[in-house]
Amino acid sequence: MRASLAAVAAGALILTGCSSGGGGDDGGSSDEKAKQQGEEVSYTFGNAKQSTGPAGDLDKNATKGGTIKVLQRDSFAHLDPAQIYVSDEGSLATLIHRGLTTYKKVGDDDYRVVGDLATDSGKKSDGGKTWTYTLKDGVKWEDGSEITSEDIRHTFERQFADFIAEGPVFLQQWLAGENGTGYRKLLPGGPYKGKHLPDDVLETPDDKTIVFHFKKPQPELPYALAMAGYAAVQKDGDTKEKYDKKPVVSGPYKIASFKSGKSMKLVRNKEWDPKTDAARNQYPDAFDIQFGVSFEDSTKRLMSDAGENQTAVSFSNQVDASSMDQVRTDKKVKDRSVEGYQSYVGVINLNMSRLKDKKVRQAIAYALPAQSLISAFGGAGGGKPAGNYYSPTLVGHKPSDPFNKISKPQGDLKKAKQLLDESGKKGMKLTFAYQNAPEWQNFSVAAADNLKKVGFDVQRKDIIADTYYDQIGKVKNKYDMYHSSWGADWPSGSTVIPPLYDGRQIQDGASNYSHYDNAETNKEIDRISQISNPNKAADEWMKLADKILKEDTPQVPLMYYKAVQLHGSKIGGVYFDEQLHDLMPHKLYVKK
Amino acid sequence: MLRFLIRRSLGAVVILLIISAVTFFLFYAVPRDPAMLACGKNCTPDALEVIHRNLGLDKPVPQQYWEFMSGIVTGRDFAQGPCPAPCFGYSFANSDPVWGTIVDRFPTTVSLTVGGAVVFLAIGLGAGMIAAHKKGTLLDKAFSTGSLVLSSMQIYFIGPLVLALVVYNLELLDQPQYVPLTEDPAGWFMGLLIPWCVVQIIFTANYTRLARSSMIEQLQEDHVRTARAKGMSGRTVFFRYAWRGSLIPIVTIFGVDLGSLFGGAMITEWTFSLPGLGTLAVDSVQNTDLPMVMGVMLFAATFIILFNIIVDAVYAFIDPRVRLS
Repeated sequence: MRASLAAVAAGALILTGCSSGGGGDDGGSSDEKAKQQGEEVSYTFGNAKQSTGPAGDLDKNATKGGTIKVLQRDSFAHLDPAQIYVSDEGSLATLIHRGLTTYKKVGDDDYRVVGDLATDSGKKSDGGKTWTYTLKDGVKWEDGSEITSEDIRHTFERQFADFIAEGPVFLQQWLAGENGTGYRKLLPGGPYKGKHLPDDVLETPDDKTIVFHFKKPQPELPYALAMAGYAAVQKDGDTKEKYDKKPVVSGPYKIASFKSGKSMKLVRNKEWDPKTDAARNQYPDAFDIQFGVSFEDSTKRLMSDAGENQTAVSFSNQVDASSMDQVRTDKKVKDRSVEGYQSYVGVINLNMSRLKDKKVRQAIAYALPAQSLISAFGGAGGGKPAGNYYSPTLVGHKPSDPFNKISKPQGDLKKAKQLLDESGKKGMKLTFAYQNAPEWQNFSVAAADNLKKVGFDVQRKDIIADTYYDQIGKVKNKYDMYHSSWGADWPSGSTVIPPLYDGRQIQDGASNYSHYDNAETNKEIDRISQISNPNKAADEWMKLADKILKEDTPQVPLMYYKAVQLHGSKIGGVYFDEQLHDLMPHKLYVKK
Repeated sequence: MLRFLIRRSLGAVVILLIISAVTFFLFYAVPRDPAMLACGKNCTPDALEVIHRNLGLDKPVPQQYWEFMSGIVTGRDFAQGPCPAPCFGYSFANSDPVWGTIVDRFPTTVSLTVGGAVVFLAIGLGAGMIAAHKKGTLLDKAFSTGSLVLSSMQIYFIGPLVLALVVYNLELLDQPQYVPLTEDPAGWFMGLLIPWCVVQIIFTANYTRLARSSMIEQLQEDHVRTARAKGMSGRTVFFRYAWRGSLIPIVTIFGVDLGSLFGGAMITEWTFSLPGLGTLAVDSVQNTDLPMVMGVMLFAATFIILFNIIVDAVYAFIDPRVRLS
């Protein structure tokens, strides 16, 4: 059973590590404790010993050599780490880029944030406002030069330049103590005109040491630094905008060729030293990546297992919904599949500006059929009914089901009808907007049918998929209900609850799509954000998520997204990575 | 002839200008902001403003159009580097140079088009001529019915079917792919064999029907009857008189088809995951990638117009009664 499935069965994902990271224990004990307590998945912040390479073999049969064919739908739009935010490029980044920290899979269900270029996951002081990292010995760029603290300083300072506009902004905002793009004022234009971040923000006292000084405690910094967007950029090799096409890499593989939209070839980076890398392996000689392969095409190819498809895989292409049943029932094919949870939770937003009656919102919540959405996405392989807003991949997840989405996945019409009658709004018009993708079109029919049975007058509004989020992102949109999904940036509620439910962030294009604004909730968000113990914070985020759902119901949870992926019969070391929501590229090998 | 070519070329430039203006300004009528694609999950209006500035979308639309069009002739400088003429700018989606991408994708489309055209012309015209020659016979009926059936088929249906049979089940051929002819001629041929065979099915059926009807019509013309009356052999009458005359409608349609295929055989390329201009066009529209949309659109339009001019010029060689005026 895959890690994430086990996690949900147990109903919990917890963060068991010490937030001081890099502490003095010998590692592994917190994971073991978690196991003994019956917890299925744990995340720990690794110390120096746990952050030391080599990574070891998760699969004892793993062998070196061969070339893996990779079938990808989308080309990589960005190679400059600072511009990387999407998971496809994040998968590639695990092979070519390295940051201060990274995720390490330490067992079937256990993950650890370890030092990557750094000796550990970070040492915090000053109540979490100051974090210190020390670079490992022997970490090098592909040209053989040492990675120094100056490179790391440059990596973070260039994030303030205007041309860096597509990557994550967490760290920049934390350093500047500002939300929005106001952080850019801290170092306008970046480091290219000779100016640098002051020492009370970012210190590099010697070639090996990097010290971050934040305005507020940042207990989740090791997670943030593990994002591909914060991987290291070589100072001397920085060509600004052009770096996006030809970066200097430090991971186990380097780019031999890249034809955007067509192909990419990765070969071994001989300057990468496995002794410095606790997370990655370097099994195949090369990765031969082909772009423009649709989900349907990659599914058919990998199902056939014919010819070169035996040594093929896809980092990101999922099994297409129409083939899901066959993949999950045909044993020969199923044996070559892996599945896991994505961090996305599919919800229906209830526009709080228009649906002001709580009973109406709750009637809708009871009525909507979660099962219809899951069927539209290919059945059990596509997703699982969501009882709450908090994904099973998040630390602190606990099962709850206040609107019977799990116990009555076809919808609880009786309860819905009762609530609508009590509200006195029977016959009320509802405009339901959805993308014109087949999955949502199918779901909209079933949803409208349930809502009509309850007593609503539903108008379905089909919106072109390309413009969908532009339309629902407008604060003054004219829709009563519309779907969206949101995935965490790291396994903590801090990257889910504030962006979705902080009323102070309501504006055109922002992710609070239901326009939910509750002063008490906003205050809670501020309070929990300052909790320095990640375990405690995780519990508090979960509680707040359930409180919002039960008391205000700005969204209806419907589905925890899942992904099923296939691989050829001669590919080994296939694991689903819950952080990437894709296959874990750096464990793959070609079977002899 | 020279005057004809100059006049038609000037006309072509005007048509391309109209197409460019219509495409450019229609792009802004679409209720979608290309900057949104780059803005990521935590998008805010001020983050969008930065991206607008980076992409040059903060300028007035007429100014953007003028800079784009003048760049094609004079070249431009971008943050990504200098962009020599013909400069179509850089992709909004991935910062690739538009002209470089088109040049990179074109060989795939040319290979698919030329190979497919050779097959569908040879089989289509051959079958059409035989059907016309054997008009009313069982062979004619078989060809006519067969072409009707095939012309009713669609590439998105036949393509996956052929793949399932030939590649996945029988494993007779490898997965179709584009290998540059200059790198590996055998790999190029084998990689495109299935796409050629599939793309030709639709066109072969059309050309069989067209060649048959055109030939039958020509065989009933006065000059053909006169040639027969003069005692010329059936072969001479068929090929020297009737065949030449029947080519005019075929050449017209072939010119249009070839121009369209050079602009990108979208469905065929998508079906076989071939990285040609067709898939590039689809991707760029999906990504609201204005520079790429403009580049592919103008490139494809140029081919369609160019082949129309060539067709008009070829008329004069095929039929002396046609004068270029």
